[in-house]
Amino acid sequence: MTAATTLPQFPWLSLLIGLPLAGALLCLLHRRSRQECRWLALATTLATLAICIGLFVACRHGDGPWLLREDAAWIPRFGIRYTLGLDGLSLLLTLLTAGLHVVAVLLAWPEQRRLPQFLALLLVLESGLMGVFLAVDLVLFYLFWEVMLLPMLFLIGIWGGENRRRAAVRFFLYTLAGSLAMLVAMIALYLLHGAQSGSYSFALADLLQTRLPLTQEYLLFGGFMLAFAIKAPLVPFHTWQPDALSEAPANGAVDVTGLLLKTGIYGMIRFAFPLFPNATRDALPLLAALALVGLFHAAWSAYRQDDVKRILAYSSISHLGLVLLGLAAWNTTAWQGSVLLMVTHGIVTGALFAVVAMLRSRTGTRNLNELGGLWGAAPQLSACFLFFALASLGLPGLANFAGEILVLLGTFRSQPLWALLALPGLVFTAAYLLRLVQGTLWGPAPAARAAIPDLTVREWLVLLPLIVLTVWLGLAPAPLLAPLAAVGGLP
Amino acid sequence: MSVYHYLTVSAILFALGTYGVLTRRNAIVIFMCIELMLNSVNLTFIALSRHLNSLDGQIFVFFVMTVAAAEAAVGLALMIATFRNRETIDVDQINLLKW
Amino acid sequence: MENLVQIALQNVNLAAIMPSLVLVCFGMGLLLINVFLPRGTTRPAVWISLVGIVVTAVVTVQGWGNPQYGFSDAVALDNFATFFNVTFLLAAALTILMSDDYLRREGYAVNEYYPLILFTTAGAMWMASGTDMMTIFLGLEVMSISLYVLAGFFRGQSASNEAGLKYFLLGAFSTGFLLYGMALIYGVTGSTRLTEIGAYLNSHSSLLANPMTLAGLVLLSIGFLFKLGAAPFHMWTPDVYQGAPTPVTAFMSAGPKAAAFAAFLRTLEYCFFGLKPEWSAMLWVLAVLTMTVGNVIAISQTNIKRMLAYSSISHAGYALVGLVAANEIGYSGVLFYMLAYTFMNIGAFAVLILVGKQGEENLTLEGFAGLGYKRPLLGVAMSVFLFALMGLPPTAGFAGKFYIFAGAVKAGYIWLAIIGVLNSAVSLYYYLRVMVYMYFRDPTEDYAWISLPVSVLATIILAVIGCLYLGILPNEVMAMAKTAIF
Repeated sequence: MTAATTLPQFPWLSLLIGLPLAGALLCLLHRRSRQECRWLALATTLATLAICIGLFVACRHGDGPWLLREDAAWIPRFGIRYTLGLDGLSLLLTLLTAGLHVVAVLLAWPEQRRLPQFLALLLVLESGLMGVFLAVDLVLFYLFWEVMLLPMLFLIGIWGGENRRRAAVRFFLYTLAGSLAMLVAMIALYLLHGAQSGSYSFALADLLQTRLPLTQEYLLFGGFMLAFAIKAPLVPFHTWQPDALSEAPANGAVDVTGLLLKTGIYGMIRFAFPLFPNATRDALPLLAALALVGLFHAAWSAYRQDDVKRILAYSSISHLGLVLLGLAAWNTTAWQGSVLLMVTHGIVTGALFAVVAMLRSRTGTRNLNELGGLWGAAPQLSACFLFFALASLGLPGLANFAGEILVLLGTFRSQPLWALLALPGLVFTAAYLLRLVQGTLWGPAPAARAAIPDLTVREWLVLLPLIVLTVWLGLAPAPLLAPLAAVGGLP
Repeated sequence: MSVYHYLTVSAILFALGTYGVLTRRNAIVIFMCIELMLNSVNLTFIALSRHLNSLDGQIFVFFVMTVAAAEAAVGLALMIATFRNRETIDVDQINLLKW
Repeated sequence: MENLVQIALQNVNLAAIMPSLVLVCFGMGLLLINVFLPRGTTRPAVWISLVGIVVTAVVTVQGWGNPQYGFSDAVALDNFATFFNVTFLLAAALTILMSDDYLRREGYAVNEYYPLILFTTAGAMWMASGTDMMTIFLGLEVMSISLYVLAGFFRGQSASNEAGLKYFLLGAFSTGFLLYGMALIYGVTGSTRLTEIGAYLNSHSSLLANPMTLAGLVLLSIGFLFKLGAAPFHMWTPDVYQGAPTPVTAFMSAGPKAAAFAAFLRTLEYCFFGLKPEWSAMLWVLAVLTMTVGNVIAISQTNIKRMLAYSSISHAGYALVGLVAANEIGYSGVLFYMLAYTFMNIGAFAVLILVGKQGEENLTLEGFAGLGYKRPLLGVAMSVFLFALMGLPPTAGFAGKFYIFAGAVKAGYIWLAIIGVLNSAVSLYYYLRVMVYMYFRDPTEDYAWISLPVSVLATIILAVIGCLYLGILPNEVMAMAKTAIF
């Protein structure tokens, strides 16, 4: 293993989970001083990001399927182990998580209400997300899967917008209902595997050996997919998402909400697809159909919204439709495109939400009809907004483009019809994003609006790295694709 | 008379007691019906003990009687406490909590 | 007659009842001491009873891995009994810790409360270690009679009177069924010893289909199910739980309920293993009914005490799933679950006691509005208990449910596990509602009346530790629960 040669032996992966948690505790202990909390949270997220980057640099060319692994007994009574594993896929997603959390903490800087608790919850969420992306024991995965819900519940419910209570409860109930289905399927799989092999274990590597009759495989696949489809969100299960995203507090949390969606996709790639290959193969057309419906439905819904945040929420669903389509196409090009798109979409949409948050804090509204004429008032802010909107739309040379093109090319290779159907979806995307840009940046400014200050230094600090990343990943996405080559489970 | 006669009688007594508990509304009468049930069980035990020629059943009856006496003491005390506060022990009127 | 006396004397083995003996001695001694204490002085009673519990716990733990049998096999202090005894003692200790200030607030700082808790616990211990129908019956009655008094302890309050009276009438009624069942089983097999009954039924398999056996089994089960608060014998639970003093409610839903499970489990496994398919099928229906009824009615409650009562019905339903599974995982799951439930339930009630006002006021959802801001630590503790009751990781509730449902799936009851999980999903709603009030609503009160006495704080901290320990590092206790199964 290359990692062993370049990295000192250390439980790096546990550190990734433990560090934010420790930061959260420290934040709560220092809740008397807001300033200390801010710096503490920023230091924690930066340190986490530094570790992630270090891991990326050190391990990205690992030759085995796992770049790093940690393993310890946890509950031997049920064959549950504390197993963490890092491969190319989780490497990218942990990197994204760590990066977006730095952004989130910076965005939360001006937050007035209960700042220490807010930051602590953000950090707990980071810890949970890291756990989700690293756990390769099913029960451990389930643990983190649930743990990451709790901070989100509070973030939306306490700091959210007007309908926060409803949005928070709905989000929580939906996702938990899904994960309970996964729990049953998990236990069933564990017992079936135990009956087959004689050794009871929840380790992913062991469970992959299970051979099931097709009906059972369908049922269990359904249980897993229900959880992931609700989280992703796939179309019939998506109704919680626009509420949750638009009510999520603008200061930072919303970026991170986007990460939750990635966990759904990640779960499919890591668990549902490899565990149930036959069911997956049969379900791919259905998945593709749902992805296409999602792509169009969400784009159309986004077009009809007046709330800027809701537009972006629907745009997330729409983009994830494209990601799913790439997965369903089931070839290497499309898969790599999907993963790449997942990461870049996280960056671009995170940036867009950040810009909208800045906008909102200046104008006090998110309603498209009450905005307008921003270009004249705050040119720097407007330029950033336009830039990220164009990136989101898939302008060549910017981040999303590479992923989208790979998805479409790959899909076209195996399923030309799907790719052709998806193309108009991109036109739709262009339509609602242009409407968004037009509604905010141009047109007449509302008469009663006070003067709008332009971007501050702190805000530039947030946006500049994102801009650089967006351009860089658009021009040279290869470094991100490299670690994916050795990931197990991809076709 | 065989053991079956005794068993039948005690079964009838038990059923009467149960019926009484379900239909009567005065707490004391309900309690008397419960005592009837317990005593029908005692009768069963004694008949069976005699029939099986084992002493266990009779010992059991002693325990049941002792316990029933203790239960009566507690139960009547509770009824008195209730009556002091509400001036009734009709279970239909003891409905402060949703029944 | 001569014979009997000899046998009885030869087989007395005090070691087999030593824990309950110690506890009863403390209880009796306390009753005597109380006579000399001035009215309103309760601290000595609290301390003595706590010391009694600790001493008993030390004695109890000695019995682990060192089973004692006595009284002609009417009592067995095996690992099974010891595991449950520890659960009862924990429940009793936590209850006593949180009782003193509450009783003072409600104006019933009466010393007799503590001996009664000790006697209840002793009765529960006899139920768990009883291997003869007589012992089980005696234990059940000692426990129940003390509980009737405890439920009606606030004798000047109508609600408490009513709870006591209702509990008494329905409890005595169910005892009648239990006894009749025991009598019929005795008639069929000629013995009251559980092992002898089992062996006799096993060697005369034609008796298994005998109507008298079946009637005995059904009547016996009704008696136990009543004590468990399982549907359709649950109608007393909400009223009694709501009317009884809050610490008593907490205690009742943890300790005595576990005792009923212990005795029921032992009876089914020792006597009726030949009828496993039959009682499994019966309990399947009842488990589904119990979970569903508890959860569905809990949704519409606004009084948190009553909501917790219904939730306790549904938790009895989850534990029943372990009995239905009737395998090693299911049984040890029941043991584990009752221990876990003790922590989370008593913890939730302890918070309820603090938030409540004199006269059992302020127990509604509205009374919790914004609590999480005004009293952050209480809020966090209550959240832990609620998450545990929901069954979310990493809390004891998740480990317990996981254990039990794994047992059910293993035994082939996939649908039962699915129904159980669906029920958990339903229960999320009403537990979550408490959280919504605690955190997502603005406080309407300043909660200035909440004082945090050290004793109640200790209860809450212990309960939180228990919930998290059993959730994060459950292996130790799970392994113990496994060894505790016969």
